[in-house]
Amino acid sequence: MKKILIANRGEIAVRIIRACREMNLSPVAVYSECDRAALHVRLADEAYAIGPSAPRESYLRIDRLIDAARRSGADAVHPGYGFLAENEDFAAACAAAGLTFIGPDARAIETMGSKTAARSAAKRAGVPVVPGTEDPLGADVSDAAIAATAQSIGYPLLVKAVAGGGGKGMRTVVDPSDLASAVRGARSEAASAFGDPTVYLERKLARPRHIEVQLLVDHHGTVVPFVERECSIQRRHQKVVEETPSIAVTPALRAAITSAAAAVANAVAYTNAGTIEFLVDENGRFYFLEMNTRLQVEHPITEMVTGLDLVQWQIRIARGERLDVDPARALTPTGHAIECRVYAEDPDNNFLPSPGRIVALRPPAGPGIRDDSGATAGLDVPIDYDPMISKLVAWAEDRTRAIARMRRALGEYLVGGIKTTVPFFIWLLSQPDFADGRFDTTYLDAVLKARNGRPFVEPDAGVEEMAAIAAALHTALAAARPSTNGGSTGGRWKTEARLEGLR
Amino acid sequence: MQHFEIEVGGRTRRVGVARTGDKFAVTVDTRTVHVDVARIDAHTLSLLVDTKCPPGTTDAVRTAAEVVIAPDAATGQLMVGVGATPVAVAVNGRRPRRRDESSGGNGPQRLSAPMPGKIVRVLVKSGDAVRARQPLVVVEAMKMENELRAGRDGLVAEIHAREGESVDAGALLVVVK
Repeated sequence: MKKILIANRGEIAVRIIRACREMNLSPVAVYSECDRAALHVRLADEAYAIGPSAPRESYLRIDRLIDAARRSGADAVHPGYGFLAENEDFAAACAAAGLTFIGPDARAIETMGSKTAARSAAKRAGVPVVPGTEDPLGADVSDAAIAATAQSIGYPLLVKAVAGGGGKGMRTVVDPSDLASAVRGARSEAASAFGDPTVYLERKLARPRHIEVQLLVDHHGTVVPFVERECSIQRRHQKVVEETPSIAVTPALRAAITSAAAAVANAVAYTNAGTIEFLVDENGRFYFLEMNTRLQVEHPITEMVTGLDLVQWQIRIARGERLDVDPARALTPTGHAIECRVYAEDPDNNFLPSPGRIVALRPPAGPGIRDDSGATAGLDVPIDYDPMISKLVAWAEDRTRAIARMRRALGEYLVGGIKTTVPFFIWLLSQPDFADGRFDTTYLDAVLKARNGRPFVEPDAGVEEMAAIAAALHTALAAARPSTNGGSTGGRWKTEARLEGLR
Repeated sequence: MQHFEIEVGGRTRRVGVARTGDKFAVTVDTRTVHVDVARIDAHTLSLLVDTKCPPGTTDAVRTAAEVVIAPDAATGQLMVGVGATPVAVAVNGRRPRRRDESSGGNGPQRLSAPMPGKIVRVLVKSGDAVRARQPLVVVEAMKMENELRAGRDGLVAEIHAREGESVDAGALLVVVK
């Protein structure tokens, strides 16, 4: 393996390029029309255009990706997460073109990609699943039939896309009269996000935690589960903060849940990196939720507490190496790590997307801080893709210090031109419930509802005055500058002369 | 000396800016502070603001602040980030178009698109009675469907949103009276 085509964009494409460089492999980028200037294109050895900005016409076009791989002479493909990462046709097309797909084989993706098939696989492995429908509900199943099924499962329940992930194509139903519209909404979102409107129903547990187990599996029968990740801080079923280890997981629970995860992987002869997601109830009972057959967004926190590089291991496993990681090392965290997913959203306006040009950007740095980002100043955040611009990760000796370090880093994060969720994280990480680990998957939506739109960071009188001073100086200086795009070039004396006018 | 009317947090301040040597004297309403400005880039300033002297001293406390200033396309205001705290600022009466969702109470609500996107569903029709926070239009942007809600109780007076249509930020979608 010498050259890897990265079939993705944004921060994850950059992350994979970094692994390639460290392994002396040549990274090849692909890009859609609006991504020509993106960081992953600038950091790659080669880059190929694959079509218009809409994902279906570029990052989801298997033919164009295979073409780009052929043209570049790449011998392997890394799919990242999202887009085609869990598409068995893409894995099969890579194999047919003689390319090594850095991930599980098409059969495992197909089995675990169907949420209903995955649930049967978990049951076969002796792992409990959340009660729900055994069979998928296609677009042809009537409202009446779905209502009857829902009645047998009981309310509240979740309508979930069979091909789903990332909270897309998912709805909560408390009142039976909302079921039909929830199914419609979920189907429409699932069809647009995954090209498959099929849904299923699942009982909604009362106050579960979302705990997941990262796995690496080589082609020689070795399965290594990692210390759990706690992902209960979710908004609209999307993770926004993850940490490891979980404050709620005892050594006994860790042993049980990681063994269960390994058993599920064995049941489907899984290979490469994957993650088994569980719900854990208030009594410490756990239920299989689903398997993600790819690298996970939140993989960096596992890397921070184990010192292992999961992307490099994906590549090493794909080229046939033996997974010789000490299992105890993978299960024994050193310190504590937290990740905040920084989104281009306006937290003070119901988290509506805030696309646009990033005019200034200075991410945090320093001890224990890792910022996995695809953003740079001068780049537009396009409307066509997920609005995540960065994953900010803090590591420290223990959880309390990791929270303090994350708060410090959030305070350093300067972004101009778009709104981001940084102020929201500053608020969240100062909440006593968060500090004490008193939360479950319902926590965030409940506290957000209770806040009823109150701003997350309310400027005090001193900050307001500073903002007024800054705005006045900025306007005065801008008026005095020779041109808005001139920077300091082209006649500093002119600027000076105009500033004189301010006397 | 240049003068600006600057509105922050619902209160308008008169701010004067004058150069004094290599610094600026900035007068906010009646109080004047001396500010040392370093321009980092077109949108970033480092400010050192001399504030009042502690008792028994003659040297002012010099407060450091890093600020990022950029226009906010959706409102016409400036977004000023003081460190990580965002503050909306209107300069010289460039009053923002009011946030639709907050315009509860009296006048008509003009619901406009807060970001560019595609109209997925229009949930009401002209003449419908709607309640505050009732979803009116679903806009898809950044792979998520976002419900835009009524800011007040009323009747749907105008519908400009059409299903399947792409809209720019600020496009008028629905008027509720």
